[in-house]
Amino acid sequence: MNEGGWFRRLVNRSRPAALGLRRRILLIFTLGSLLLSLFLAITTFGLARSNLITERVDTAVTTSQRNAQGVERDLRSLPADAAVAQASLDRIGVEDYLIWYRNTWTGGAATFQNPDVPSALVTRVIEEGESASQIVRIGDELNVVVGWDVPGIGAYFEAFPLEEADSTLANVRLSLVLAAAITTGLGILLGIFAARRAVRPVGSAAQAASAIAGGRLDTRLEPTEDPDLRILTESFNDMAAALQQRVERDARFASDVSHELRSPLMTLSASVEVMEARRDELPERAQAALDLLSSDVTRFQGLVEDLLEISRFDAGAIRLHMEELLAAEFVRQAVAVSSLPDTPVEADERAELALIRGDRRRLARVIANLIDNARAYGGGEPEVSISVVNPDEEPISHLRIVVEDHGPGVPEEERDLVFERFARGGGAGRRTGSEGAGLGLSLVDEHVRMHGGRVWVEDRLDGESGARFVIELMATELDE
Amino acid sequence: MEDVGTRILAVEDDERIRSAVKLALEDEGWTVDEAESGEEAIEKFQRSNPDVVLIDIMLPGIDGFELCRTLRRTSDVPVVMVTARNDTHDVVAGLEAGADDYLTKPFAPKELSARIRALLRRIRPGAPGHARLSFGDLELIPDEGKVMRDGEEVHLTKTEFRLLCELAESPGKVLSREALLDKVWGYDYFGDGRLVDVHVRRLRTKVEADPANPRHVVTVRGLGYRLQT
Repeated sequence: MNEGGWFRRLVNRSRPAALGLRRRILLIFTLGSLLLSLFLAITTFGLARSNLITERVDTAVTTSQRNAQGVERDLRSLPADAAVAQASLDRIGVEDYLIWYRNTWTGGAATFQNPDVPSALVTRVIEEGESASQIVRIGDELNVVVGWDVPGIGAYFEAFPLEEADSTLANVRLSLVLAAAITTGLGILLGIFAARRAVRPVGSAAQAASAIAGGRLDTRLEPTEDPDLRILTESFNDMAAALQQRVERDARFASDVSHELRSPLMTLSASVEVMEARRDELPERAQAALDLLSSDVTRFQGLVEDLLEISRFDAGAIRLHMEELLAAEFVRQAVAVSSLPDTPVEADERAELALIRGDRRRLARVIANLIDNARAYGGGEPEVSISVVNPDEEPISHLRIVVEDHGPGVPEEERDLVFERFARGGGAGRRTGSEGAGLGLSLVDEHVRMHGGRVWVEDRLDGESGARFVIELMATELDE
Repeated sequence: MEDVGTRILAVEDDERIRSAVKLALEDEGWTVDEAESGEEAIEKFQRSNPDVVLIDIMLPGIDGFELCRTLRRTSDVPVVMVTARNDTHDVVAGLEAGADDYLTKPFAPKELSARIRALLRRIRPGAPGHARLSFGDLELIPDEGKVMRDGEEVHLTKTEFRLLCELAESPGKVLSREALLDKVWGYDYFGDGRLVDVHVRRLRTKVEADPANPRHVVTVRGLGYRLQT
C-alpha cells in the first residue's frame, strides 16, 4: 500500500461511526417527540374527558332534580300513588327512572332496573337521605345514576347514558392520536435535519480526508465561526498541513537524491561507453568486469529514472500528455523498443481498431516495465496480447493488454505486494533474481491508475505455470 | 566537408561529465571543444565556429536558456539542450530559447550521438526536387535554403527550414507529429511531440503575418499540421 493506505483505512473506519451518530440523534428526536406528544395527548384527553363527564353529570343532576321535584309533587298530592308520578314522568318522556316508594321499586325500563343502582348509592340516598350521583356501567354503556331523596316518602333515581360524551371523547381521541402522529413525524423530520446538520462537518471532514488520501494534499476544511466545530476544523487543517509538509519533504528528498545521482551516472555511462568501444583491446577478465559494470550502470540509470518518476508522483507533479493512440499499433511500437523487442504481440480484430487515450511515453514505459519483469522473473519469453474486454459490446468501452510469461507465477498472497515499491516477496523464488524488483511494477501500477485503468496479476489461463499481468484501460472505437 | 571536420562545442559545468562526454563524442570522430560557463562558451563559439552546440541548462553565470538565446541572435547553429528534468517547463523553455532538440540527464552518449547525427543531416537537406515553391505571400527556395515572405528573406534556423520543407513536400496534406518527428528529427514512434509544437510556434512567428491566426502552417486538431496557401 502507498502511504495513503492507513489514512484511507482510518477514514473508512470512521464512516460507520458517523452513521451511528446520525442514527442516535434521529432516535433521540423520534423518541423525544413521541413521548412528548403522547404525554400531551394523554393529558389533554384526560382533561377533556373529565370536563365532558362533569358537564354531563351536571346536566343529569339538573334534569333529574327537576324530575325528582315532579315526582315529589305527585307523591305528596292525593291520591299518593307511584303510578301517578310514573304517568307524569312517562308523559314528559323520561325513561330510565326508578321510584322508591313505600319500600318498593317502581318504574324502570329494560335499560335500567333496580339492581343496576349500586348499593352504595342506595345506601347513601335512601338510608342517609342525601342526594348523590355515581357513574356505573349498565349493560355495555356508561351511565350516570343520580339519586334524589324525597324526604319522608322515598327516593327518585334516574340514569343518564354517557354515550354522547363517549362519542365526543372518541373524536377527541382520534384527533389527539393524529396530532401525536403529526408531532412525532415532525420530530423525526427535525431529527433528520438536525442529524444531517450535526454530521455535516464530519461528512466534509471525511471528504477532505479521502481527498488527501487520494493525493490532493492541499485539501483543507473551510474555516468556520462555530466555536465547537472550530476545534475540529483547526486540528484537521493542522494535521493536513503537517502531513502535506512531510509528504512533500519525503518526495523532495527522493527527488533531490536522484537529481544528485544523475551527474555521476552521466559520467559513468559515458565512460563505460568509451570503454565498450575498446572492449576488444581489454584482457578477458577486464572484459568480464566491464560487462558487469556496463549492465549495472544501465540498471542504475533505470532505477534513478524510476525514482525520479516516482518522486514526481509523490509530489503530484505528473502531467500526462494525453493523446489518442491506436491501441494495437501503440503496443507493437512499445514492445519494439522494450528490452525484448521480438516479443510476439497478438491483437484481436476489434482491438486492432480500438483507440486508447494516454500518455504515449508513460504507457510505453508501463509495457517496457512488464516486459522487463517477464525477462527477469518470467523465464524471458513473454507473450503480449490485446483484446477487447467484452467482444459483444457496442461500442467497446474497455480493452486489456496482457503480458504472460513462463516463470513460476506469482503466489496468490503476493499478488498485491508485487506492485509495491521495492517489493521482494519470498515465495516461489520469484524475487531472487539478480535484478531487484525495484520500482518497475509499482510504476506500472501508478501509471495505469493515472490513466484511469487498473492492473493485476493472475495465473495463466491455459493452466501452464507463469504469471499473467493484465492492464485494463478505457477504449473507444476508431470511427472512420 | 564531411564528418571529419565536424566540431562540437560542449557547454557543461561539471568537469567530469564534460570529460566523459568529450571522450565518447571523440569516439564518433568529432572534434570536441569544452566550455564550463556561458561566458566561455560565447567566446569559444566565435573562435571555433562549431557545427553543433551542446548546452546544459544548469550553468553558473548566464544559464543555458540565456546562452542559447545569445547564440541564436547571430547564428542558426544546431543546439542540443541538456535538461535536468523532463518537466514541461524546462523542455519548452529550452526549445523556445531556440534549441533544436533536447536530452534529459542521464542520457546514454549513444543517444546524444544519434541526435547530433540527425542535426548534422538536417543542415544539408537533400532531395531538393523543386527549385521554387510558392504559398501565397510565402516563397521557398530549397536549393538555396531560403524563404521569402513578400519578397523579403525570412531568417529560419536549419530545423525550422527543414520543418517547413517537409510540410511543403505535400502541400495541403496533414502530417502527424510522429511523421514530422521522424522526418525532421529522426525520432521513432516515441519522440516528444512538444518538439514539433514549439518549432511550429517559432516558425509561425517568422512566416505568418499574424502568428496568432496562422494562414500557412495550420494546426489540424488531433491530427497534426498542414501547409496551405
